[in-house]
Amino acid sequence: MEETQQRKRLVMIGNGMAGINTIEHILKLAPNSYHITVFGSEPYPNYNRIQLSYVLEKSKSVEEIILNDYTWYEANGINLYTGTQVTTIDIQQKTVEADNGVKVAYDRLIIATGSRPFMLPVPGVEKQGIIGFRDIADCEHMLQTADQYKKAAVIGGGLLGLEAAKGLSKLGMDVTVVHLFKELMERQLDPTAARMLQTELESQGLKFATGKQTAQFLGEERVSGIRFADGTELETEFVVMAAGIKPNVELAQASGIEVNRGILVDDYMRTSAADVYAIGECNEHRGISYGLVAPLFEQGAVLAKQLCEVETEPYEGSTVSTQLKISGVDVFSAGEFMDAEDLSIVRMHDDWRRIYKKVLMRNGRIVGGILIGDGREMSRLQQWIRTGTVMTEAIHTAIVGQGAPDTGNTVADLADEEIVCGCNGVSKKRIVDAISENGLTTVEEIKATTSACRSCGGCRPVIEQILQYVLGDQYDSAAAKKEAICACTTLSRDEVVREIKEKGLITSQEVRYALEWNNKEGCSKCRPALNYYLGMIWPTEHVDERDSRLVNERMHANIQKDGTFGVVPRMYGGVTTPEDLRLIADIAVKYKVKMVKVTGGQRLDLLGIKKEDLPNIWKDLGMPSGYAYAKALRTVKTCVGSQFCRFGTKDSIGLGILIEKKFERLDMPAKFKMAVNGCPRNCAESATKDIGIVGNEGAWEIYVGGNGGIKARLAELLCKVRTDEELLEIIAAFIQHYRETGKYLERTSDWIERVGLQSVIDTIVNDPDNRRALVERIEQALGQVQEPWNGALVERIEQALGQVQEPWNEILDNSNLREKMFDDLSASVVPDRGTV
Amino acid sequence: MMSSLRPDQDYTYYRVGTVDDFIERIGRKVKVEQADIAVFKTSEGEWFALENRSPGPRGGTLAEGIVSGTLLYDPICDWRIRLTDGEVMDPDSGKVQTYPIHIEENEVRIGIPKSEGGEANG
Ligand code: SRM
Ligand SMILES: Cc1cc2nc3c(=O)[nH]c(=O)nc-3n(C[C@H](O)[C@H](O)[C@H](O)COP(=O)(O)OP(=O)(O)OC[C@H]3O[C@@H](n4cnc5c(N)ncnc54)[C@H](O)[C@@H]3O)c2cc1C
Ligand code: SF4
Ligand code: FES
Repeated sequence: MEETQQRKRLVMIGNGMAGINTIEHILKLAPNSYHITVFGSEPYPNYNRIQLSYVLEKSKSVEEIILNDYTWYEANGINLYTGTQVTTIDIQQKTVEADNGVKVAYDRLIIATGSRPFMLPVPGVEKQGIIGFRDIADCEHMLQTADQYKKAAVIGGGLLGLEAAKGLSKLGMDVTVVHLFKELMERQLDPTAARMLQTELESQGLKFATGKQTAQFLGEERVSGIRFADGTELETEFVVMAAGIKPNVELAQASGIEVNRGILVDDYMRTSAADVYAIGECNEHRGISYGLVAPLFEQGAVLAKQLCEVETEPYEGSTVSTQLKISGVDVFSAGEFMDAEDLSIVRMHDDWRRIYKKVLMRNGRIVGGILIGDGREMSRLQQWIRTGTVMTEAIHTAIVGQGAPDTGNTVADLADEEIVCGCNGVSKKRIVDAISENGLTTVEEIKATTSACRSCGGCRPVIEQILQYVLGDQYDSAAAKKEAICACTTLSRDEVVREIKEKGLITSQEVRYALEWNNKEGCSKCRPALNYYLGMIWPTEHVDERDSRLVNERMHANIQKDGTFGVVPRMYGGVTTPEDLRLIADIAVKYKVKMVKVTGGQRLDLLGIKKEDLPNIWKDLGMPSGYAYAKALRTVKTCVGSQFCRFGTKDSIGLGILIEKKFERLDMPAKFKMAVNGCPRNCAESATKDIGIVGNEGAWEIYVGGNGGIKARLAELLCKVRTDEELLEIIAAFIQHYRETGKYLERTSDWIERVGLQSVIDTIVNDPDNRRALVERIEQALGQVQEPWNGALVERIEQALGQVQEPWNEILDNSNLREKMFDDLSASVVPDRGTV
Repeated sequence: MMSSLRPDQDYTYYRVGTVDDFIERIGRKVKVEQADIAVFKTSEGEWFALENRSPGPRGGTLAEGIVSGTLLYDPICDWRIRLTDGEVMDPDSGKVQTYPIHIEENEVRIGIPKSEGGEANG
């Protein structure tokens, strides 16, 4: 307690990204030096503002973008006032006062008030239905509006405007982007790049009104349209302003601190007032107010050192880079990007593939660049620009050529404070220190110790280079490339699989001991992976290790965020019967399920089921589990096909059901989805399935490696076959080849890019002996799989196969096991309180 | 702080079941008064009782996590939690409340601080 009083009082106004990043640095540098109070006007702890774009397109929830939850503040002894606006700063008395009447004295004050959207000062701007895009409240407003209205306009064709527009469009609105200039993102892109971007976004359904100056908002109370300076009009029911930001300087200004566009700061983030600092979008450093997090984090690192009395280099400004967060649209720009007399340029423009790359040099040194359509070299380009690297043959090939050249090591030139991982704000120095202090040798270890590379993974190449640079001769590039399966071992997937076979290892524990795992019980990465590899290699000997299954697979249901579960029974080929539907309906009523939902996989999901009800529901249903949670065959979607459809050339339903029954329950490296279609119209969507089958008159086409998820990929033609027998053989061989060579959690879409389609064709289609061997092995594995829930069914399968297996799937019949896995226990007081 | 409480005097002990009610390395939820507690038995035969609430940003339960030695992998956010004292391991941070647990005559007993709801977490 006493100690707290001796600590200096640090007060921060603004509970946003830049400010809290600074506090995090301070806590690391000198955890006990300050007693910290933070005021934030938003009613939330610090969240990732960048990811509001994801909240808007509903790919993330608000909870998922919280960066520091309330317990973090508590654990670090930070006094937090949320929903509280600071109204006055007294720089003489050194106090701040907030709208809730709280008054706090400071020894040091950080102003981190950020900025707000710039609202165009034109007539009608005060009407309802016109907002900016800055915080969670705006996001919620937009989500509600999308439910009620159809037409939206976004003013501003910059990064923020385009992300807002794309988000609203995803929510089903008809969106027009209004932009003052002819070209989108004119502050980051040249005309060629801007045009390519616009074409791409148009193909995704966005409309554009470029070269348009907004003159007036029309409508009564609510906005109904926009009138432009050229007299034309655009009808709209909702307007989002993304025409720039305005630093929040009023509070500082009113208290006598010098401001210009932003609060003026020097190279150590000091304002004109003693002991008052400003950080983030609210400040202005050497004439620039930055609007992206990377430079703000760099400022934060300098300020934290300054406040902890650790020696620091001055902050001298940042090169900013921009990356558009719209899926399927790679857009990157950094440094100088416009043609100019004194610049020489390397350019690659491919309209067919829709790729554009441009790198600009001054006196041979890289000073800027643009990447459209292929962002793979993004982080390296950014680094070359930051460090002013000289163009070399190797770099040239990396950008416009094909191969992956050896570009030498330029991280040596990176400044210590340079942020290497933008997502998590980790500097080069932090990584270098972690490597040398903790003897780290892999990216995985760096991830675990510093958090770098834990989010989008874009910084991985640079981190690898840093490793190489720090370790020098000790750096084992082969070891790094081969990618250990987890941090418990240095062995790669292929090495582990080979050792398991050579040494005849049967249980995970044997693997971990024999292969000298540094963590004898493994981790959440290797446990499920080893369990899979062992089952794949030893289909008859290996006993499934239930405690190594992730929760969904262990419970045979999908866990939900509130701890209840979703239950999806099989509905082979998407076909059901009135009796089954009635049974499902009755059970839904009996167990009071929260929702019955038709899934994207052509079957029904009973949502909101209590864990302890799971066994009984399955008992009542008497249907096999649909494995909607498993790394195994999920569904075989089918179209109507020749049984009913006037275009159908093949019985897609019949074949789909057959395939689903044949391959269900078999463990695979990752989830696996199929579809069977009766004709090339493809009503059951073959193009995005792991295996997509398309019936033709007289033949089946087999497509493989499709994916409709995180990284969409179109399936490619593997081969055409004439008969159903050939079809089943090819499918079986394909699945087994994937099972034997895929990495755990690697979908076929990634696997096929890694091994190459041609090699798969050679192995399966062109080599009949090998194909038959694969089919034999999968048949053996299929002989072992069992239904976890339905006892009767298990029996039938067992009879059919003539063998009885390890009874782990008899959950229903084994009341003891069932209770232990699904029922809660309750407690009674020990009367005489046992002694210890 | 938990450690300032004396295990035998400042806790009320509850009988939550017998040793055989639990599967090695698979958590089980127990309700004791107001508290939801996740009980784990490790492969070394050690017993732990933790508040059944994920310390991660999304909340959720803990009992379904993967147990590895005396580490628990949170089923929702995959954070690593030390079973012995509930401490969240680097690079994440936080703490899960733990409860004393011991076995007597084959019975599993959990202690709840008498001032539960008060300042148990310091
Ligand atoms: C139930 C269902 C949504 C629905 O109501 O339609 C669903 C629900 C979930 N999906 Fe899905 N997916 C469902 C169809 C799909 C589809 C569409 C399809 O199958 O045709 C896709 C895209 C197609 C694809 O996978 O190629 C899809 C791509 C994903 C992905 C991204 C996979 C990828 O490789 O990119 C994940 C995340 C993952 O697997 O790691 C995911 C993960 C999930 C999880 C299991 C998330 C989780 O771990 O908790 C969801 C469980 C929700 C819950 O609370 O119960 N879900 N998911 C669908 C079940 C279909 C079924 O009957 O089995
Ligand atoms: C939708 C969206 C997408 C973005 N995408 C990217 C991107 O991809 N990459 C990128 O680098 N950047 C992006 N940004 C910009 C990035 O979010 C900002 O640069 C960053 O959040 C600025 O941090 P800050 O701490 O300066 O301000 P903020 O995060 O805005 O924090 C300031 C806080 O101070 C509070 N405050 C203000 N005045 C007071 C007061 N008087 N009293 C109390 N509290 C006060 C505010 O309410 C606010 O919560 C995006 C921004 C948005 C809105
Ligand atoms: S894919 Fe062809 S056969 Fe199948 S329903 Fe569509 S049109 Fe009919
Ligand atoms: S930059 Fe995204 S994880 Fe490092």
